[in-house]
Amino acid sequence: MKDNLQLADVSIVEGQMVSIDLARIPDLSIDVAKKPWKPVTDEHRENTCCILDEVCVLNIPRPKNRVEEEELVNKFLDGMRKLFTTENNWVFLPLLETSMEYCVQCNSCSNACHLYEMSGEHEMYRPNFRSEIFRRIYKQYVKKESLAKWRYGDMGLNWKTVTRLGELAYRCNLCRRCAQTCPIGVDNGLLAREIRKIFSQEMNIHPRELHEKGTMNQMKVGSTTGMTPDVAKENVEFIDEDYSEISGVGIHTPFDVHGSDILLLHNAGEVMAWPENIAAFSLIFQEAGLSWTLSSKAMAYDGVNYGVFYDDTQTARIALQHMLAAKELGVGKIVIGECGHAHKALTVIADRLIPFEFQVPRESCYVTLRDIVMSGRLKLDPARNDFPVTLHDPCNIVRLMGIVEPQREIVRKIAPKFREMPCKGVDNYCCGGGSGFAIMTRNNIEEWRGNITGRKKMWQIAEAFKDCLGQETRKYICAPCSNCKGQIREILEHNDLYAKNNFSYGGLVELIVNAMSNASPGFIKWEGEE
Amino acid sequence: MTTLFYILAYLAIAGFFCLVFLKVKSYLQASPLHVRWEIYPVPHEGEKASYGGSFMEEKEWWTKPRHVDYFGDVKALLAEVLFLQSTFEHNLKLWFRSYPFHFGMYMLMGGTIIVLLSAIAQTFGASPDDGGMIFVGNIINAVVLVSSLCIIGGGIALIHHRRTNEGLKRYTTPEMYFNIGIFVVFGFFGLFAWIVAPSYFVTARGFLYNLITFNFAPQPDTWFALHLLVGYFLLIWIPLTQMAHFFMKYFTYHDIRWGDEPTTYSEKNKRIIPNALKYAVTWASNHITGGAGSKTWLEVATSNPAAPKTPREWNP
Repeated sequence: MKDNLQLADVSIVEGQMVSIDLARIPDLSIDVAKKPWKPVTDEHRENTCCILDEVCVLNIPRPKNRVEEEELVNKFLDGMRKLFTTENNWVFLPLLETSMEYCVQCNSCSNACHLYEMSGEHEMYRPNFRSEIFRRIYKQYVKKESLAKWRYGDMGLNWKTVTRLGELAYRCNLCRRCAQTCPIGVDNGLLAREIRKIFSQEMNIHPRELHEKGTMNQMKVGSTTGMTPDVAKENVEFIDEDYSEISGVGIHTPFDVHGSDILLLHNAGEVMAWPENIAAFSLIFQEAGLSWTLSSKAMAYDGVNYGVFYDDTQTARIALQHMLAAKELGVGKIVIGECGHAHKALTVIADRLIPFEFQVPRESCYVTLRDIVMSGRLKLDPARNDFPVTLHDPCNIVRLMGIVEPQREIVRKIAPKFREMPCKGVDNYCCGGGSGFAIMTRNNIEEWRGNITGRKKMWQIAEAFKDCLGQETRKYICAPCSNCKGQIREILEHNDLYAKNNFSYGGLVELIVNAMSNASPGFIKWEGEE
Repeated sequence: MTTLFYILAYLAIAGFFCLVFLKVKSYLQASPLHVRWEIYPVPHEGEKASYGGSFMEEKEWWTKPRHVDYFGDVKALLAEVLFLQSTFEHNLKLWFRSYPFHFGMYMLMGGTIIVLLSAIAQTFGASPDDGGMIFVGNIINAVVLVSSLCIIGGGIALIHHRRTNEGLKRYTTPEMYFNIGIFVVFGFFGLFAWIVAPSYFVTARGFLYNLITFNFAPQPDTWFALHLLVGYFLLIWIPLTQMAHFFMKYFTYHDIRWGDEPTTYSEKNKRIIPNALKYAVTWASNHITGGAGSKTWLEVATSNPAAPKTPREWNP
C-alpha cells in the first residue's frame, strides 16, 4: 500500500492501493468513533476489483484473464469516446470539456473538500486526484494528442486503472463545494459524475442500491422502497390514523385529486422510515387550507430520482414520469418535499431535459412552508420549541439551487433558540450521505461514512451546540432532506449520541407541527420518549 | 530578415485571434443546450446574491418577471479577473505568488493597448515629442518596469511553490513549468529591453507604428526583438494550453456557474429541447440500447427498461 501516492500508481500498484489510517482522521469535540475497517475477505478480493482502498462500492467483477482485462479497458474507452460526443452527451458536454481542458492544478479545491480534510488530507481524496487521472487517460488514449505524456503527464491504462477510477468516482459526495471555490470554474464533482456515467451507461456497472434497487426498482414497482401504489396508499392511510391520534388532529391525506393546486412529491423513504414527516406535511397543508394531493401513480408517489447520482438516461426517465403524473392530475404546481436530490433533479436538471409543454412548475416545499408560516395561517407557539435548534443545509437545495432563506425565516420564527452551524448556507458541508451513499451499508461504506464523509457535518453540529453539549439540554438537528436525515441518524445511532448528547433530529415540518397550538404537544421525540 | 520579423508579428496576432475564435466556437458547438448546472452564489440575483439566494426562493417564481442584475455579474467578474478573488479567499498562499504574476500581465496588456493608441495617434499626425506623448511615455516606462518585475518575481515564486509544495508538485506537469518559465523569460527580455533602451515606450511605439503603417524598418534593439519574439510565441501558445482559461473563464462563469435561466423565460431553449431529444444515443448498457444500434433520446426517455410493456404514452 502506498503512503506517498502518485497519480500513476493507479495503474501500477498491485493489490489494495491505499489504506486510510484511522489515526490521521481528526478527532471531534463530540464522541464520533473511528470505526475500524472490516477486513475484506479473500473471496471478495478474488472475485471483485476491490483494489483501491478498504471500501468497495461498485463490486466490479475481477477479470479472469488477459482477454477480460482488455475487454474491460476497451469498454471503458468506448464509453469515454461516447462521453465526448454531442449525440450521447449533449446535456453535459460543454461543462465536461471545460473541466477537462482548463484546470491549472492549483489545488484550491482540496481545501474545500470535507473528504480530503477528514481523511487526514489523504492524497487520494484531493478532488483533483481522480479528475487528473481521467484527463490524462483522455488526452493520451482517446484524443491521442501528440506530446500528451510530456504535456499532461504519463498515465498507464490497464484494468487496474479503469477499476480504480470507477471506484474513485464513488469517493465523492458530489456536493460540488470544490467547484464553488475553483478560480477557473472547473468542476471536479461533475467529472466524478461523468465517470460514473461511463460505468453505468456503457459498462453496465453501477452500485446496486442506485440501479437495481434504485431506479430500476422505481420503474418496475413504482418506488425505490419497493412499495407498489396500493401499498403506498395503504401506508399513508395508516400514517394518517396513527398521527391523528398522536397529534390530536384528524389527518386526511388526499390522493389523486384532479385539479388540485399542488401535487406534493415526497421521497417515499419517508413513508417507511420517517412517517412523522409525511404526517406533518399533511397536517400543515390541511390546517393551512391548501388545495393539494398526492399521486398514487407508479413513480409519482416517490420523488426519488437516483439517476442524478450516476446516469442521465435514468434521470430523464424518472423526471419525465413525475412531470406526466402532474400533468395527468392537472395540478397547478409540483411541491417537492424534504428531499434534496429530488429538488435538483426535477427543478434544475429536468428544466432543460423535458420539453416545456410537458413541464409543470416546481416549487420547493421550503418556499411553500415559508408562505404558510409567515402568512399566519397556522397558530404557532414558539415556546413549544424552547430548545436549541440548528439547521443543516442540504447541498442540492442550498448550494445548487440557492434556496437559503425561506427555511431560515421559518426556523427563526418558530424556534427561539435557533443557532447557525459554522459554514452555513451555500458554504455548507455535505451530510456525508450525498450522491447515494446514505442508502449503502456494505463493504465498509458504513464505516467510511462515519469515519470520513459524515465527519465534517458532525463537527458543524458540535460547533453549533458547543454551549450545550452533553445530556442536560435537549437539542434538535433540523435536517430537511431525506438522505441527509438517513446519514445523520446513522451517526447519532452508532455513536449513541441520542443518549450522550440528548440529540433529536428531523425535518422542518416536524418542527413546525411541534409548535402548532392546536396539535398535542411533543410531536418531536427525544431518547426515551414514546 | 526584418520583413520576416514583421510577418511573424502579423501571423502571431492573426493566429491568436483565430485560435481564440476556434476555441470559443468549439465550446458553443459542443451542444445546442446544456443542462443547468449553476452553483450559488450567483451574482446576478440582486440582493439575494449577498447570501447566495436565488429566484427559486420566491413563491411561484414562474409567474413573475425575470430580473437579472447584469451589473452584479460584471462586478463579480471584475473582482475575479482583476483581483483573483477566489484564489485570495480559498488559496491565499498561492495568491501571494499568482497575483503579482497576473497583475504584471494585466499591466503589460493595458500598457500595450495604450502604446498602440499612441502609435495610431502618431499615424494621424500627433507629434512623438509633444507633452502628452511624453507624459504617456513616462507612465508606460514605469508600467513596463513594474510589470516585468511582477511577472519575473511572481513567475519564479510560482515555480518555486510548485517545486516545494508536495501537493502541487504531484500535479504540476513539465508543460506547466514551461508555461510559467516562458513568461519569466518574456519578463526578463522586457526588463533588459527597458534597461538598454533610452525609452521603452519610444521603442515599442516605433515598432507598433511600423507595424500598422507596414513600414518594415529594422528593429534596432536586440533585447526588445527577443522580447517580441517570445511574445509572438505566447500569442499562439496561450490558446493551445490551459492558459486559455483567461478567456474561457467567461463561459465557465457566465454560462455554467451562473447559467440559471429557466426554460420558462427562454423561447429559444423551448425550441431547442425537442430537437436535442432527436440525437441518437449509442450507450451500450442493457437499460439503454443493450449494445444494439442506437435510439433517440426521446425513445430512451419514454421507455421503461424495468417494465417495458407499460411506458406512458408520449407523443410530442
